[in-house]
Amino acid sequence: MTAVPAPGRRYASGRPLVACQRVRKLFGRFVALEEVSVEVNRGEVVCFIGPSGSGKSTLLRCINGLETVDGGRVLFDGSPLPTRAADLRHVRQRMGMVFQSFELFPHKTALANVTVGPIRVLGMPPAAARVRAEALLDKVGLADKAGSYPSALSGGQQQRVAIARALAMEPEVILFDEPTSALDPETIGEVLTVMKRLADEGMTMVVVTHEMTFARRVGDWVVVFDRGQVVEEGLPGDIFDRPREARTRDFLSHLGWDDSGRRHRPAGSA
Amino acid sequence: MTFDWSIVWASRGALATGAWMTVTLTILTMAIAIPGGILLALMRLSPLGAARGLAIAFVEFFRCTPLILQVYWAFYVLPTQLEVQFSGFATGLMALSMNVSAYNAETFRAGINSIRRGQSEAGLALGMSGAQVYREVVLPQAVKRVLPVLATTWVALFKDTSLVSVIAVGDLAYTAMQIRSRSFRVLEMLTAMAVLYWAMGYPQAKLTDWIHRRLAGRE
Repeated sequence: MTAVPAPGRRYASGRPLVACQRVRKLFGRFVALEEVSVEVNRGEVVCFIGPSGSGKSTLLRCINGLETVDGGRVLFDGSPLPTRAADLRHVRQRMGMVFQSFELFPHKTALANVTVGPIRVLGMPPAAARVRAEALLDKVGLADKAGSYPSALSGGQQQRVAIARALAMEPEVILFDEPTSALDPETIGEVLTVMKRLADEGMTMVVVTHEMTFARRVGDWVVVFDRGQVVEEGLPGDIFDRPREARTRDFLSHLGWDDSGRRHRPAGSA
Repeated sequence: MTFDWSIVWASRGALATGAWMTVTLTILTMAIAIPGGILLALMRLSPLGAARGLAIAFVEFFRCTPLILQVYWAFYVLPTQLEVQFSGFATGLMALSMNVSAYNAETFRAGINSIRRGQSEAGLALGMSGAQVYREVVLPQAVKRVLPVLATTWVALFKDTSLVSVIAVGDLAYTAMQIRSRSFRVLEMLTAMAVLYWAMGYPQAKLTDWIHRRLAGRE
């Protein structure tokens, strides 16, 4: 791991909120992550980019313990992730997660999806949880959909409810696992807009994404993955305009970026 | 050959009592076998080897032997081994409940397994415990998904309760058979029995069809 904060890293601190240290993860004999070290500081938006299967989602899932690591460790707020289920639960309460396939609870209304965490996990009185949930649904632009079931919502609306559900726990960081990859092109923008607003409010975010425009405009720090390794990391401007590694250049050129950082074709909007 | 249908009307009180017993047995059996089935399914899916083994043994025994044998066994063998004598009703209810629990266990297990992993992960990511994930996320969806199957099991059970007549539980089948033996009005009583079972079973079957239509293939 880097002991000295990288130059230009705005939120760099001596004590990152999340620190992955030489994390190894195997699926059978397949090495999904090979000694990966990444840090996330408070207030920072860190984007994980790279080809499919490069390990970025796996690392994200290691951060909140949905995957256990086979080597190295993950520190949250300075402490290693607990192995005891009851302790891990307390750490997870401080981290939100947004999934590629939304994973809203289909048997609950949008409102109930947002209140279930505060009520069941935090022990909040239902009336108070409802007030909080209504405010959050309003914030993601879905105040009028509180009573709707997920099946009656578009993908973009479902994902915005999922973001509200994560926010309802008042987490210190939100992990986004390809939040727009399952969306129709016309609804991607509405989700990215909500995410950008969160970033502007200072929410700490780790975003696994294929939306390069978002990574470039909203990200504070970009980490490039390939074949289970971190190829390079840096400021968005450096990664997109002046990539040092050939593998980064290859990846970006496949997406329609070239070394000058100009986009050849639209890759969604931010 | 002359028929005397008056025997049916004359026996209406006894037949009604028998029909009521059939309905009671069906309801009580399901009331036990739904939580029983969930419990067995959870045991079978648990990480504890002993719980898993126990559930598998239970389910496979009751699924793979005839219900009538289980009823006889509970009535004749169990009391001599445990040195307690239950009433015919309690014995019949026990045998039916264990049998249907075994079937329901498999139904629930399939239902639970059909809920995608991302749903549990979403619950865990919120900080829920494993038990909360089951209660809040997995089971409500699984129950809804298996409701059509449970309804089918219900109708089968309604008819299968007639098997407890072999241990002298006064259900509709037993009552009708008793009157038949006393009056020698075989055709009349068997026909009455068929009509009564059908009249009660048909609405249940229709309700099942409706549940299938309402829920089948819906997320």
